[in-house]
Amino acid sequence: MSAHDTKVYVTDVEERLVHWILAASCLFCVLTGVGLMFHSWSIIPTLLGGYYATKLMHIYSGVVFAGMLVYSYYLWRKDCGFEESDLDWVLKAGGYLWPVKELPPVYKYNAGQKAFFWCLIVTGVVIVVTGLFMWLWNPASVPNVLARIMYMLHAGAVVVLAAFIMIHIYLGTAGNPGTVSAMITGYVTKAWCKTHCPRWYQEKFEKDAQA
Amino acid sequence: MAEYIKLIDVTKCTGCRGCQVACKQWNSLPAEKTIFSGSLQNPKDLTYNTWTLIRYDEVVKDGKLHWVMRHDACMHCDWPACAKACPSPGALVKTPEGAVVHNPQYCIGCKACIAACPFDIPRNNPELEKMAKCTLCYDRITEGKQPACVTACPTGCLTFGLKEDMLEKAHKRAEAVGGTIYPSNPKYETHVMYILPAGVSPKDLQHTNPNPSMPLSVLLWKNLFKPFTLIGMGAVIGGAFLHYLIKGPHEVHETKEGGE
Repeated sequence: MSAHDTKVYVTDVEERLVHWILAASCLFCVLTGVGLMFHSWSIIPTLLGGYYATKLMHIYSGVVFAGMLVYSYYLWRKDCGFEESDLDWVLKAGGYLWPVKELPPVYKYNAGQKAFFWCLIVTGVVIVVTGLFMWLWNPASVPNVLARIMYMLHAGAVVVLAAFIMIHIYLGTAGNPGTVSAMITGYVTKAWCKTHCPRWYQEKFEKDAQA
Repeated sequence: MAEYIKLIDVTKCTGCRGCQVACKQWNSLPAEKTIFSGSLQNPKDLTYNTWTLIRYDEVVKDGKLHWVMRHDACMHCDWPACAKACPSPGALVKTPEGAVVHNPQYCIGCKACIAACPFDIPRNNPELEKMAKCTLCYDRITEGKQPACVTACPTGCLTFGLKEDMLEKAHKRAEAVGGTIYPSNPKYETHVMYILPAGVSPKDLQHTNPNPSMPLSVLLWKNLFKPFTLIGMGAVIGGAFLHYLIKGPHEVHETKEGGE
């Protein structure tokens, strides 16, 4: 049996590229941001060539993040639209925390993945808007009382997004064996797809097979 | 190390601008071209190259005119919001003398200090990407000299000395002229203090902060969100390890159809 008999192609190259450019720019921003925020982590700016260089890299990485954030929105907003059965999934915590008899059959993404996507969009927009403000504001024309709220919101949105990213990384790798290949080669096993996205699998692959 | 205070007795200021000029001279700051704006206010505001200026206010209260000239510069906060906000170590430092000093060598031009300052003092140079403000003439006071503005003041409006002496002097003078001391928040001390004339409150004057404090947004940013960036990520990573150990990974069902 060749790989194509047991595996299905679930993530195309466009999705994978957008995911990884978004992820890399985001994690690089987190790294440089932490390096700028904590004086005790001066090793990060030191390795990157100093604080001024780190500021520039944080900004330009943020610009890449902003572009990919907009791309992500257009790429995944439909697949991440909430539906009625998502509430049931959330109330059962997706079966991750306590034993659950049956979960509502998922289409392409489960309610947790959808929540992560919308959390990324909302906090990402806050981070990008406040970040652009911090980069470009002119103190001669903007009251600093307003400006300092932007700096606070930038840091506040990161708390939420950074924690959620860690959940995303765990559930995409060790927490769900067989998942990570969906974002690397684009392929997952048929069994994985039937387990995690049964409705989508049925619609996309079984109908094709019957026809 | 002894702490110092610069005391500004507004009742004695004649608006001669000697302090403005002395500051420019000592700190090698170039003069700026200004335009007449219809009042004695000139230059209009602090800039990257103007670290102190006289603010002119005409306050009418109870039918009485108060013509107030106020030397305005960095207040040298005891708990400086600018230094708290600054990401680059050494760029903004509170010294043992009480002066808050900027070092352009380390400044990365992020403007965080400008946003954080409760008195709106730091100014930015967009070309150089550096901030600048009054240093309380740290390079003079550590040599036993007075700040340049104080040495230039002809009326005794500006005085500089040990914290205890200046506090005592301020209270005596305020009582003698029936005026008030600004700022007067005991929880937010500054190393610059004013004696305002009788009948004039900080609210009547331009570019003052009647209730100065560490801004709440800076506290939330630096004391809550900053640590919780790492605490949040760390807690999730720890939780993920526990989840993996206790509940285990979510394996794919090989035979069962649907179900999730």
